[in-house]
Amino acid sequence: MSSDQDHLKETDTEARFEFKKEEASAFKSEKGLTEETIRVISEDKDEPEWMLERRLRALRQFQEMPMPTDWPGQPDLSEVDIDEIVPYIRPDIDTRGGVDDWEDLPEDIKDTFDKLGIPEAEKNALSGVGAQYESEIVYQNMQERWEEKGVIFMDMDRAVQEHPEIVKEHFMTKCVPPSDNKFAALHGAIWSGGSFVYVPEDTTVNMPVQAYFRMNSEGMGQFEHTLIIAEENSEVHYIEGCSAPKYSSFNLHSGGVEVFVNEGAHVQYSTVQNWSKNTYNLNTKRAIAEKDATMEWVSGSMGSKATMLYPSTILKGPGATDNHITIAFAGEGQDIDTGAKVYHNAPNTKSTIESKSIAKDGGRTNYRGLVHISDGAENSSTSVECDALMFDNESTSDTMPYMEIEESKVDVAHEATVGKIGDEDVFYLQSRGLDDDDAKQMIVAGFIEPITEELPIEYAVELNRLIELEMEGSLG
Amino acid sequence: MSVQLETISEETVRQLSEERDEPEWLLEQRLDALEALDDLPFPDVIQTPGRKWTDLADLDYESMVDPFSQTEEKEWEADEGIDVLPFHEAVEAEESLVRDAFGSVVDPETNYLTALSTALFTTGTVIYVPEGVDAEDVTIRTTMNGRSLFNYTLVVTEKSSSVTILERQETGEDLDGSRYYSGLTEIVGGENAYVQYGSLQDLDQTTYNYQLKEAEVDTYGTVDFIDVNIGSRLTKASVETHLNGDSSETKMVGAFYGHDDQHFDIDARVWHNAEHTTADLVTRGVIDDRARSVYEGVQNVGREAWDTSSYQRENTLMLSDESEADASPKLIINNHDTEASHSATVGQVDQQDLFYMTSRGVNERLAKNMLVEGFYVPVLEEIEVEELREELTERVRERLRQRE
Repeated sequence: MSSDQDHLKETDTEARFEFKKEEASAFKSEKGLTEETIRVISEDKDEPEWMLERRLRALRQFQEMPMPTDWPGQPDLSEVDIDEIVPYIRPDIDTRGGVDDWEDLPEDIKDTFDKLGIPEAEKNALSGVGAQYESEIVYQNMQERWEEKGVIFMDMDRAVQEHPEIVKEHFMTKCVPPSDNKFAALHGAIWSGGSFVYVPEDTTVNMPVQAYFRMNSEGMGQFEHTLIIAEENSEVHYIEGCSAPKYSSFNLHSGGVEVFVNEGAHVQYSTVQNWSKNTYNLNTKRAIAEKDATMEWVSGSMGSKATMLYPSTILKGPGATDNHITIAFAGEGQDIDTGAKVYHNAPNTKSTIESKSIAKDGGRTNYRGLVHISDGAENSSTSVECDALMFDNESTSDTMPYMEIEESKVDVAHEATVGKIGDEDVFYLQSRGLDDDDAKQMIVAGFIEPITEELPIEYAVELNRLIELEMEGSLG
Repeated sequence: MSVQLETISEETVRQLSEERDEPEWLLEQRLDALEALDDLPFPDVIQTPGRKWTDLADLDYESMVDPFSQTEEKEWEADEGIDVLPFHEAVEAEESLVRDAFGSVVDPETNYLTALSTALFTTGTVIYVPEGVDAEDVTIRTTMNGRSLFNYTLVVTEKSSSVTILERQETGEDLDGSRYYSGLTEIVGGENAYVQYGSLQDLDQTTYNYQLKEAEVDTYGTVDFIDVNIGSRLTKASVETHLNGDSSETKMVGAFYGHDDQHFDIDARVWHNAEHTTADLVTRGVIDDRARSVYEGVQNVGREAWDTSSYQRENTLMLSDESEADASPKLIINNHDTEASHSATVGQVDQQDLFYMTSRGVNERLAKNMLVEGFYVPVLEEIEVEELREELTERVRERLRQRE
């Protein structure tokens, strides 16, 4: 055990928890998250005053905003009791180090790790067993040669300390302000951990920068913040992985992702998330693309009890481009409400959205998207394509795109199809000697291929395997 | 949520009912609707976070709704063999029929505006097509003269009957200030019956217009809607079909042309509630000047709706830079044995087509007009009522002539 971990055990887990318990009785009557909690988080991180101020402001906004409840067909959030958020944080601070023993992990998570063929060491890391203090990213392949070129890739908490000027300018100011929505405000108040990526001008990072699962000192990996800044004409591919289920006794994840794609730059953000089945996954992810910049989102949303996630891109500069490729998979008891938002705010901007979803065993998938073309965004074009595949009659699949067009010189197209898995296709494959399960898995693999081919091979393999696991036992 | 109207009370409703010598049950229904007003929301409009696309709660109903000045001219043309009666004649002549059907498809308490309509309607039409009767054309023309008009259309078709109905709304004499037209249409589509209901809304541009047309379709039945919106200052028009019988079908064809500062909020919704049902939704609209269109199309496939086919297409053509178009085609799928698709596009007149035509010697203005007219062709092809097809073409031409 490292000294960091000892530190964690001594000071954080016990001492601070006790401290907070005392405090709790002092402000017990206050509902929900309190200022005191925020001060404790900030103090513990030794944050500069301005960050504390931002947190407190976000908290006030969070307290003022209503829960989103009036969207048509939205996931049921009645269980997400804001008043319970603090009580949920506390016990987790207590067990922040995760479980002490691999054996204490829930069966389904262990099972998944085993089936994914992940080595024991990595399993420990992924499951948070022996979590590390101050959240050095568990799995990070940042190489020295990139550092030499001025590329910065570090934990967000550290970035606040080491690069305050950059962080101060960009952190929840222009891209995802806390006022954006209730969960962005919550995130702004209690965010912790996450990644900071900075790529200088004219620099191409020609291998993916990866951040795998990580735990940080607060044990609140569920509120991680990712800030990516790609300077002019730079290029980077960032991969955030939870391609194994995150073990968590929390039931709320509210992350924030902000991406600045400066003139001529190219950023790809890929993520494959597979949350535990008790998690509410309510995120805000947004990119601002300047002149001739390109933003690409590749995401796989799996797991979770309910997900509400609509990565968005603001095409701010002329000639900016956005591509969205998403896949959602919902099994029993899951409600995956996801989509994409694109704001065309300048001429000659272009976006494409390709969304695929699979629903089975009573799962629900929903594509909820917004394409906004502002007055003056001449010669902009957008094309949205959604395909839903349904396995059985307990599942549901909805498509709810919204298009707001304020400019006439545009080309806007939306198309969606829904269908069941083709009996003829299954029959054809069976007649070639595949059994029913394999045939269906092969069809699904073909269906999601546009996504997997965008991912580095190891992620693509894992995504495929995860989907196989999800489908296991449910077929035939 | 709701708007308190000083000008209407229980007394108002009792007086309207008494003047029309209505039976007790109808008065009761009106009073129930009136009482429900306070608790009812305004019609659903699509909204995205931070934005409501049509705000019906903001209209000044107080100044527009004048229950005792409802005047109109109505003309009916119909074939023999079916009953086409003014609403209050039908209440006397076919009381049990009207009583059974009234409010059976459109729930008066659907929203604030339907309840208001039920409480205050003074005029309307009942069309009854008995079993096996093939009625050709029924035409209803309503010319609104007063400050407000609440109209009710009830269509009941029996087994294996058929009918084609064309209903038109217009405004007569000019009035200062704005006015309000509200129309409810309910259609009971019998087993194996075929109903085609076309509507042409051509109210003047001082009129605020709310219309809900809803149909229920029995086994092997078909109800087709054609909904054309040309006039009004603001329109909220919903066309909805419930495919309740096995193998029932619906086709919903929409067309609109907005100019000046017109606002159209159009809905087309279908519920697949039975097996082997088919729906086809086609809407095309042009918007010009500062006009705005909002379109929502919903295909809702229920859990028991095995072997569903459902298609939706919506296309908007923008002719000016100040116009705005919003579209949201929605698919709600609860049965996996479904073949469904939807698509929507927004764009301007195709520059290549325009170039091709001008290079053939057609002047640009004429070329553009031809392309706009041509844009409606896929919808015109779906309109089987010749009169409506011609009228739409004529109104589109008229609008194009008015362009500078």
